[in-house]
Amino acid sequence: MIDQKDTCETRIRFKFYKKDEFKYLSHLDIIRIIVRALSRAELEIKYSRGYNPKPKINFSPPTPLGIVSLAEYADVLLDGGIEENEFKKKVNLKLKPQMQITEAKKIMIKTDSLMNDIAISLYGFKLCTPSSGKNLLEEFYADIEGDLRAKSDFSRSIFDLKIISDKENSDIILLKLSGYAKIFKEENNEFFKFNNFYIFFGDWLKKYRINIESVEKEELFVVRENALKTPMEVI
Amino acid sequence: MNKIKKLDFDLLEKLLKDIEKPGRYINNEVGARSKSPEPASDFYNLISMALVFPDIYEVGMSNLGLQILYDIVNKHRDFTVERVFSPWIDFEEKLREQNVKIFSLENRIFLDCFDLIGFTVQHELLYTNILNILDLGGININSRHRRDKFPLVCAGGPAIVNPQPLSRFMDFFVVGDGEEVIISILERVKIYKCSSKDKEWFLKEISRLDGIYIPGFYKFHYFLDGSIESIKPGRKVRKAIVEDLNKFEIVQNPIIPNIKPVHDRFAVEIMRGCGRGCRFCQAGIIYRPVRKREVESLIRQSAAGIKNTGYDEISFLSLSSSDYSEIEHLLDKITSSLKSKRLSISLPSMRLDSFNLNLAELIQSGRKTGLTFAPEAGSQRMRDIINKNIKENEIIDCIKVAFSRGWEKIKLYFMIGLPFENDEDISQIVELIEKVIMTAEDGLSRKKLPRLKINISINAFCPKPFTPFQWVAQDNTASLDSKFNYILKNVPKRYINISWTDSRKSIIECALSRGNELVGEVIEGAWKSGARFDNWTDFFKFHVWEKEFRKAGLDISFFTTRGFADDEILPWDVIDIGVSKKFLLREYDRSKRYLRDQDKI
Repeated sequence: MIDQKDTCETRIRFKFYKKDEFKYLSHLDIIRIIVRALSRAELEIKYSRGYNPKPKINFSPPTPLGIVSLAEYADVLLDGGIEENEFKKKVNLKLKPQMQITEAKKIMIKTDSLMNDIAISLYGFKLCTPSSGKNLLEEFYADIEGDLRAKSDFSRSIFDLKIISDKENSDIILLKLSGYAKIFKEENNEFFKFNNFYIFFGDWLKKYRINIESVEKEELFVVRENALKTPMEVI
Repeated sequence: MNKIKKLDFDLLEKLLKDIEKPGRYINNEVGARSKSPEPASDFYNLISMALVFPDIYEVGMSNLGLQILYDIVNKHRDFTVERVFSPWIDFEEKLREQNVKIFSLENRIFLDCFDLIGFTVQHELLYTNILNILDLGGININSRHRRDKFPLVCAGGPAIVNPQPLSRFMDFFVVGDGEEVIISILERVKIYKCSSKDKEWFLKEISRLDGIYIPGFYKFHYFLDGSIESIKPGRKVRKAIVEDLNKFEIVQNPIIPNIKPVHDRFAVEIMRGCGRGCRFCQAGIIYRPVRKREVESLIRQSAAGIKNTGYDEISFLSLSSSDYSEIEHLLDKITSSLKSKRLSISLPSMRLDSFNLNLAELIQSGRKTGLTFAPEAGSQRMRDIINKNIKENEIIDCIKVAFSRGWEKIKLYFMIGLPFENDEDISQIVELIEKVIMTAEDGLSRKKLPRLKINISINAFCPKPFTPFQWVAQDNTASLDSKFNYILKNVPKRYINISWTDSRKSIIECALSRGNELVGEVIEGAWKSGARFDNWTDFFKFHVWEKEFRKAGLDISFFTTRGFADDEILPWDVIDIGVSKKFLLREYDRSKRYLRDQDKI
């Protein structure tokens, strides 16, 4: 076979969500579903050479089973040229409403794999107390914040907290947490798991009788020159 | 009229907390297409069927029969079918603890709201799961206690060619090919639903169809020793047969599971039935006559299916795929028409000899995954007895060529406990394995030899209804275990990986397979004592079954290690499977004289 030097191939980064029923699918299931949808859309993924060829597609770090994600990313190398919008339209037709591509962009520069590049995952969730807990939640927040400050110096902070009140229900406060995945990876040699939130906050949650609800992975970030950028911003 | 009750998503979410593989219970796969129940009034005009596969999702979704029936029923304007699988142990516990009935995947409709519940039963060790599912659906497991018009409960599939062990639980059975009869049944359910007619009327009505056995219409009388004196009435139920497979296109838009099923590939049936006539093989008899799909439409429909599904593997299924007359043309056309795609092809159940090795090479281009041989027996004498038409030198020659062409993995299937078996037959299994290893040592380079892997699978023979060996006494566990231990002790350790199914599991399989209607009491008792997923070694409890047979006043050995008399009335004599008892007896006689039959293809 003649090796035509990458004249007609397209490298695309796309962002998609998994929600409703599909939050119960594992990372490997998601990969299989996406690869098959591309195949049904008659987009041909390039394969690596060698004895055991692998499709040239890679994904952002796994989202835990049972958690909605609005920020799943994948990079794919396609045979042939295709426009971003056409790619998105074609593939979305082959996917269920519970999993749809929201953004697609051609990759023009050399990038690290998503798995290595993603530094931070932002999770949002609701904290609910059984009754009239607004004060309780504020106490909780002060408590947790103090503890976090005490435990971690800023440069290696594990969690970043943002508090937003939920307009619909005054008993519920939205808490956003960012986990520095890379730091976890170095320390525990293991990827950031949502369970770590529970391990970390379990005692507080128990103390203030708080439930976590509607956990969502909201966005992923990479670090470029000491600033956080979304994966779409850096290609 | 029953109100249709559904489980809402919020409740499902609560149930799924801490459940292993929640993807089993969430539906919404590509290809799932039940009719929407909204508005509700429309739904009442539909006849709704629950198609139940009494094993876990991953196993059930790998079954082609399920996909075929799902496709046919949902294509019909008046009918809708939804799927139900066995919940895994953890989800069953959750359902029971929260007092929630089992529900279908598509619209999460509770099982007892369906008009018709149809179980597809692949083997005997799923019987307890069937009772468990009915119970989880809030449905009385015994048909005589189900007085309401709906739901109707039936069973089909290869295991129920002897319907008797399940007869007390089912309103009716469907024996044979389901494609045509399922529609005939549903048409009659529709009439029944829209009228004031009673269940008796409905059952009489469908009893006129081929393939429908209604246990309530038959009465068994027994001798004191437990064998059957008479069955009244004497009329046999003729198996339903689809004369021409080409009448139904292959399923080109199957449900594509979201989670990984056991067989994650596009499946195509190329032929039904098998003409080889192995005397132990039940499928070889009950799926007769041999019918094949026309090759050109098969090629067209397969290509469409691959395009629709996005699968990268296609599997051509039949009981003996290398016997499909145009197999090379088929493979050739499929590989060339889909050349740009990375498609792998699998042909399970291929009879391997040097000629067919070319086929294997064609489909495994690039990756040589492994070759499977089923000599079944070690000695030529025994292969003649069971009518397994492959000779030792054919196997060895084929393996020789395979090694020279780069294969390094071989799988060999054997059975022990076969009729008229002696020590010599067993020791020849060991000798055959040794010869395979010697062939490998000769044929493989010193670099490749250490990578050699030979997987040996040994199963206990279980005599099955409608085979020439249906009368044969099953070997007892002590003898089976000692034969297996002999093989294990004497087979070379190097390169070999050997697996063996629990002989006690085969005993229960045999008892359930050859059982009469009284065995139903045992199944009920075993289920009540916690038996389910009996095919899973972790869950199989022999002592429970032993105890339940005793409690029912039945002797397991009556159904297993006892040889049945030639003139005995058998529990499955109510079914006309299309092959006469005389033919089976003649084959049995020939086996005693080590006479092999010529292939009928």
